[in-house]
Order: sequence, then C-alpha cells, then structure tokens
Amino acid sequence: MKTWQRIKNDPNLMEKYLVRERVIDTIRSFFKNQGFHEVFTPILVPIPSIEPNLEVFESELRTSKGEKRRAFLIMSPEFSIKKLLAGGIGNCFEITKCFRNEEEASPLHNPEFTMLEWYRINADYKDIMKDFEHLFLRIIGKDKLEYQGEVYDLSLPWPKTRIPDAFEKYAGMDVLKVSDEDFYKIYFNEIEPELLKIKKPYFIYDYPISQASLSKPAKDPRFAERFEVFLGGIELGNCFSELTDAKEQKKRFEAEKKDRQRMNKTEYPIDEDLIEALKEGIPAVSGIAVGVDRLVMLAADTSSIEETMFFPGKELFDL
Amino acid sequence: MNTINAGNITKGSFIIFKGAPVFITKAEFMSPGKGSPVMRIKFKNVQTGAAGEFTYKTGESVEVAEIEKKEMEYLYRDGEELVFMNPKSYDQVSIPMGLIDDQFGYLTPNLKCWIVWYKGSPIGATLPSHVTLKVTESPDEVAGNRINAPKKTVRLETGIEAQVPLFIKIGEKVQLDTTTGEYLGRVK
Repeated sequence: MKTWQRIKNDPNLMEKYLVRERVIDTIRSFFKNQGFHEVFTPILVPIPSIEPNLEVFESELRTSKGEKRRAFLIMSPEFSIKKLLAGGIGNCFEITKCFRNEEEASPLHNPEFTMLEWYRINADYKDIMKDFEHLFLRIIGKDKLEYQGEVYDLSLPWPKTRIPDAFEKYAGMDVLKVSDEDFYKIYFNEIEPELLKIKKPYFIYDYPISQASLSKPAKDPRFAERFEVFLGGIELGNCFSELTDAKEQKKRFEAEKKDRQRMNKTEYPIDEDLIEALKEGIPAVSGIAVGVDRLVMLAADTSSIEETMFFPGKELFDL
Repeated sequence: MNTINAGNITKGSFIIFKGAPVFITKAEFMSPGKGSPVMRIKFKNVQTGAAGEFTYKTGESVEVAEIEKKEMEYLYRDGEELVFMNPKSYDQVSIPMGLIDDQFGYLTPNLKCWIVWYKGSPIGATLPSHVTLKVTESPDEVAGNRINAPKKTVRLETGIEAQVPLFIKIGEKVQLDTTTGEYLGRVK
C-alpha cells in the first residue's frame, strides 16, 4: 500500500507527516528573525560539487536547436551560495532539495533529500555550533528529547570534543598518523561508542586537514576548522570555517577530481566560476549543511527518514 | 580459508569475527563525506548469542564462516532450546532460542527448516520464507463503512498476533511472511 493510501485508511497517521511543515517553518523564522536572507539557488546545474565519495544524478539539457549540455542535480547548494557570498549577499540560508545516487538503502538516506545550509559572515565554526544548538532547541521546543525509547538531555552546553583529543583519549593514537583510509574504522569502533555514553547531542571538531576539502586551516594548520554534530550516533550537520583562498581551493579540487577518477565516479570539470568567485574575494564566513529530514525524523520520533516522507524513494522506485 | 571484501558482507550471512563465527543481523555500507567508505555491521555470536557491532573498511578482507545447511523438521521447544530432527536419520539437534529470536512464533511442529552447521555443531536455523498458521482468536467482526481493506489483529496457533483482513475467521488458516510478519493470503 502507498503512503497516501495508508493515511487515507488511518487519518491518525497524518499527524507525523505534518511535523516536516512545522520544522521547516521554525527554521525559516529562526533565521529570518536574525536578518538572514533566504536564497534560492538552482537544483539543475552544469557542474555539481565534487565530493569524491558521492555519486551524482546526471541528465542532459537540450536546446530547441538540438544542442546538448551536460546537466546535473545538485548534491549540495554550497557552490552556488558561495558565489552569492562573493556577490555580497551577507548572512543567508537555503532549504533545498539535494540528490545523491548509488547510496546504500538505509534509514537515514533517501536519493532525494532536503538540505538546510546557512552561512554567517565574520564568524567561525564555533559561532555555528551556537547557532545549531539554539536552532535545534527551537525545533524540539524543550530541553529533553524522547527519541525511540531513549531520553536525550538537550540542555546547554553540549559536549564538544576535538578529534585529536578523542583519538588520543579513546584509541591511544595520534590522529595525524592515522591514514584517511583508517580514520572512520577507528572512529566508529573506538571513539563513537564512548561519545554515545552521554545521552546528549555532541560536537566533534578540528579534523585532520586532509578530511576537509572546503574548510580553512585551524590555528594549528595540520587541522581544519570543521565540526560535525551528532545525536545518538546520527550525523545531523557538517560545518566548516570556509576556505576562501582560491589557489588552495583549486589545488584541493584537483586532488578530489583525481579521487573521483580513481573511485570510478562520474567525472566532470572543476567549477572555475567558483574559483573565480573566491579570487574576487568572499568575506570570512562559516557555513553548515544540515539534513532536514533527520531533524524531522527526530522531532516526529520515527526510526527512519522515509517515515516522514509522503513519497519515500523506496516506494517510488521500488528500492 | 575463504575470504570476501568487507564491502560485500550481507545481512543473514556468517563470518568469522575475532576467531568466532557470527551471524550478520545488519550490514550497512556507509560513505562519509570525506575519508574512505566503511561497512558497519551488527552481528550475533552464534555460540554465545552475544550481540556486537563493528566497522570495517570496505576493502578489508574478512573470513567467511564455512557453514553447511541441512534440512530438518522442527519438533518442540525444550526450555531455552528448540529441538529439530532429521526426518531421514531421526537424528535430533538442539538450537538456542536466542538464535531464532523473533521468528520463534512461526515455528509449528514438522515445519521444514534449514539448520546451519559450523564445524559439526548446529549454529542457527533458516525458516521458509512463508508459513501457514491457524487463527485461534479474533475480535468480533467490526461492522463498518471502511472501504479500503482495513485490517484487524488476530491471535494465531503459536501465540503470536498478526494483522489480517476483516473477513478472516477463527479456525481459518493464513499465510504469513516470516521476515516481515505480513499477511500474504488465506489458505483453504
């Protein structure tokens, strides 16, 4: 039975599907009240972002004269928003659909999903941590979250752990000597179980520079000003103090382009327009990408994001 | 020794983890935005029943537990053990309840299952994909105007409950999916 039919049979089900509307309204007012601009950037683009591990949806644009162009669905709106930052938009946010292909079926993924990104100028990643804490509290509406039988304490402050400290303390390792290949194996086996013991959302920050293509080096340049925020092991957001150095960015894109080639992902050119925007100069800025579906899932207390979607990918495409 | 790439571990398979055979209850491929993709598994030690989880790099090689499957019939429950019999040789084996878990409610006497063996010991059972069970309790028919194939909860001969259409009566037999518990049809 399709979701719409199930709702028709049991109108009580509608309630949890309406949580999405409420969460998105809350996000909008949270940022608009602080004077952020809501921006609307394209979903169909000639060059998408270049994360080496992610696969893209490719299409083709044809003109009435039969000329063809490659066209892609975005994996994130980040590149377009950075160009707007170069153009002078200032503090801004976007709630948009993003797409990722070849993702393993999981309770936390859907081929089409909703992303929230916000960018705060003259701010660093620690300011964004504060934004996230306040936004999340606003969405949940109280300082306790009951989720799937666990109670999480949302009262501030939330624990914040530097990656090198976590590797030292829980795995007895110098993270700078850990290869990128081993990083997540160690993280999930040794570190995450420790972080999960405190029933609160938590931040981990200062990643080795190789783990953060778009972020600015920290004071100790072997690390990048990047954080991720989790609740119960569920990743909710990924933030950088944005790299604004065009030359360095181009170097990192070239390395990632090679990675994509090596991993047999769809290949496409580097977005020179973004490099151009960085050359023109963008202000010191920090930004974050947050999976809105996961926020909705937590607020609705469902065990998967698809239970908050009227038309989950699984149902549409028989996944 | 047979090995596979950790990226190819699937739910329902058996591997060797730290020297012990384990049954995979969940296998999730995960590709973090940066860094290398990983395979996160949840498993059950088939000798102790203890659950655990682990994360592999997808390219790592993992030893496959070399298991054998034999068809046997379910006989009865003996405390925390389930007794099965080989219908040809009349040999009997006992399997800890914990390894069957939530599928226990689908077992009826003489049901044919695949018993999984590792190094001469039974370590688990695979049930048929669907089973037929008799309805023993059902609420009175709900008269109503609901038109979209509504369902009711009934109790079955093994004591479990299932969601079935309103027209099913006590004494009738229904077919259920043993993985999802879903109603598949009425059996005459």
